[in-house]
Amino acid sequence: MSTDNLFKAAPAKRILGRIAPENFIGRSEALSEIAALAPSTSPRRGLLVHAAPAAGASELLRQAYDKLFRQRGGASPIYFAFTRHEQTIAAAARRFLHTFLSQLVAHRRGDHSFVNAPPALRDLIDLADPSDYEWVERLVLTYERAREGSDELALVRLCFSAPVLAAARGARTVVMLDEIQNIEKLRGEVELGNEIAQVSMHGDVPFVLCGLRRGLLDELSGGNAPHRFDGFGTIHLEGLKEADARTLVERLAFTERVAINDETRDLVVQLFGGSPFYIASFMYAAHRDQLSLTSFLECQKIYVDEILGGRINRRFNSILEEITPSHTTRRALIRLLHEAATNAGGKSPVEAWRRRLELEPDELYPLMFALHVRELASFNATFMEIGTESLWRDYLRASYRLQVTVEPRALVVADTLVETLKRAPQTMARHYRRAAALNLRELLARFDAQRVAASLLHYDRFSRIYRGVETEEIEIGLDAETDLIRLPQVVHAASCASFHPPMLLVGDEERCAVAHGFDAMPYTDANEIVWLTAEIDSKLEAGRAVTEVWCDRLTQVGHSCGFKRFKLWLVAPEGFSAEASDLLSERDAFSSSRKQLELLTARLSPEAAEVGATGADAPDEFEMVIPMGSDTELIAAHTVEQIARRLDFPAEAINQIKTALIEACINAAEHSLSPDRKIYQRFRLESDKLVVTVSSRGLIVPSPTNAGTNGSDAREENNGRRGWGLKLIRTLMDEVEFERVDDGTRLRMTKYLRR
Amino acid sequence: MVDSHDRSPVRSARSGDIAVIYASDYLNKLSGERIERECRAHLGAGCRALVVDFKNTGLVNSIGVSIMLGVIDAAERAHAPLVFSNVNSQAAQLFEILGLTLHASLADDEHAALRMLSEVNVAQPRRVPVGKHT
Repeated sequence: MSTDNLFKAAPAKRILGRIAPENFIGRSEALSEIAALAPSTSPRRGLLVHAAPAAGASELLRQAYDKLFRQRGGASPIYFAFTRHEQTIAAAARRFLHTFLSQLVAHRRGDHSFVNAPPALRDLIDLADPSDYEWVERLVLTYERAREGSDELALVRLCFSAPVLAAARGARTVVMLDEIQNIEKLRGEVELGNEIAQVSMHGDVPFVLCGLRRGLLDELSGGNAPHRFDGFGTIHLEGLKEADARTLVERLAFTERVAINDETRDLVVQLFGGSPFYIASFMYAAHRDQLSLTSFLECQKIYVDEILGGRINRRFNSILEEITPSHTTRRALIRLLHEAATNAGGKSPVEAWRRRLELEPDELYPLMFALHVRELASFNATFMEIGTESLWRDYLRASYRLQVTVEPRALVVADTLVETLKRAPQTMARHYRRAAALNLRELLARFDAQRVAASLLHYDRFSRIYRGVETEEIEIGLDAETDLIRLPQVVHAASCASFHPPMLLVGDEERCAVAHGFDAMPYTDANEIVWLTAEIDSKLEAGRAVTEVWCDRLTQVGHSCGFKRFKLWLVAPEGFSAEASDLLSERDAFSSSRKQLELLTARLSPEAAEVGATGADAPDEFEMVIPMGSDTELIAAHTVEQIARRLDFPAEAINQIKTALIEACINAAEHSLSPDRKIYQRFRLESDKLVVTVSSRGLIVPSPTNAGTNGSDAREENNGRRGWGLKLIRTLMDEVEFERVDDGTRLRMTKYLRR
Repeated sequence: MVDSHDRSPVRSARSGDIAVIYASDYLNKLSGERIERECRAHLGAGCRALVVDFKNTGLVNSIGVSIMLGVIDAAERAHAPLVFSNVNSQAAQLFEILGLTLHASLADDEHAALRMLSEVNVAQPRRVPVGKHT
């Protein structure tokens, strides 16, 4: 949705959602899946939402609640979260019933005020819809009797079966239960998770059961006889995809009036691994402190503030307080976690934990399990492995220095800032390398015993035959080759570092892979083979020395992992020198250039290659900066014409784009008190559109609503003659977004290609 | 036809009571104002009709177009019909969007514009029917 449209559309009412729906990015599919449970014809009985920590699962459910609430006349949404502060199962059950009735009455009356300020249960009887009055009254009276009794199971069943009772009386609901992992710490005799599983599977009411992915099914399992949840769908909620995370950062920067640029936007995405919770916390902090995010230093300052005292700090603090209420134990835990994190591999034996924390097993194991469920560490029977997330490690390091070694806060802040600032360019460099990596793992997984031309795996041969030949001709040549190689059927592919962690020291995880498979049938020891493959950095043909180093490294991985039979495959962007090729022959290793790899990929997965060939995923981007004045907008117009022609826009559309760009440049020049008197332009070509962004620094304020009026009236108003720029642009382009940022404005215009 | 106003940056010509003003390659604020001044000068010199020819104009911006509204005003006050000729598709679209075509006619070329004006007898001032003359 364009920002332009956002201005016009009435904002959707937020009831439980904590962020504006337009800022709820990257979850539309999950949201639709939940909303699809509402009709009684829904083929699904419910959904299990396995959420990564801080992936925004609660917000997903809250947004789903708001969406369903707005759909008047349909099923009533119910949202209930098990909180960390609840003490007993009975208390949770009582609160559930109260929440259920309040939200049901609120939806059926169309009055959302009851959702956040629920009336007393007795009052809800009077407020209930006349068609619900009778059963609501009976339910409340029964509940009041049960509450006075001592039968906890009866109370729990009465409360959690209320949605089933309501459905039987014609009041259909979609019940969303959040943070199910918190059930574990509730005191009581009843197996609450099992009760919830039973009612969600056997009642005619759709349930959404949401919790941390490492704890959800444990809570709902029902002991030794795990429930099957027949008819339930599954949502795996992880961090946002990079593109979505970038959009989220941009949206929040816009709505929170935080100046940002592309470099810092990408850094924020990398710092928080696409976690919407952390990204939002970070952006709100920038807004709160009225800071801009236009340099890595500014970003890292806020990052450090958040780790040492902001929302992110409070989140980690509250998790640790919940896991270890005792201050002394918590301090010992921080020491232990930090020391384990600094060990090679981040591991430490469980026995060391028991001794260091001085806890009995019945206290120690819940603690370790809680860390495991929150993915701050992994509990592997005999050892604990500390989570590798940078944010968590930075928090741990700072907390250790502040709470355990009691260093001056200023020193910790300064050191953390310096360290994270030094790391920022490396973080981005790694991101860029990862984005450019060839994704060997994915390619290996697609081998599937297919036969391909042998020259695709022998660079020297490929170079001899096809050097300087057009791709189409190479394709024909490959089709005609009779010397074929049967690729193995790969059954498992993973990074080299997963098998041999020291490989992390010599290269990025994505650039080196291990694939287990069989190079012939049947599945026997004799046919078992492991392919060890690596992508080498080299601007020119890789030489013998570097090739030898990599052959030795991969061979060492093979030996240290005990692989009986393995094959080496090296990939270098520009292939290998003659000497390197000789070495590869001696080692009986395969070799390919990037070109060979592209051809191989196309053969193994034509649809993926097609997408690549048409450039659907590879936008072409151009940038230009022009000074304001002296008709420089003409230069911009001529440039955009050349760019639009690359996408075969028709002449009329090119004229429209040119005119719109001229108007945008004039607007920027006329209305801004620009300090640098420059207009920044970006042209992005995608498969079906051209996106033009025009920005300028300085103060501006052409209100979009004052953008002029239609023809005949134009002569009468405001000298009638000016302020037409934005109106024209909107008429000429398909999408227009006008954004004011702290340091100026940005106008984004999109023109779609209509073939 | 007689070329006139040789010292003006805008070239113009006169054919009897009709003045033809030639717009430059880019109709913007400055060139628009020059055209406006030239038009007013011709009207002041007794011209009874105007043609603004855009044969050499590749690009047009909204400020330039807005100034053309001033030309239309001046022509109307002088009861002088006004025709725009040789308007390319980009400019025509802007003229349309910004309402100029409600107040002035478009002709394919200069000759067509002169023909239109002679048909309405410029000695007896009246409006030229609005619309593209073909």
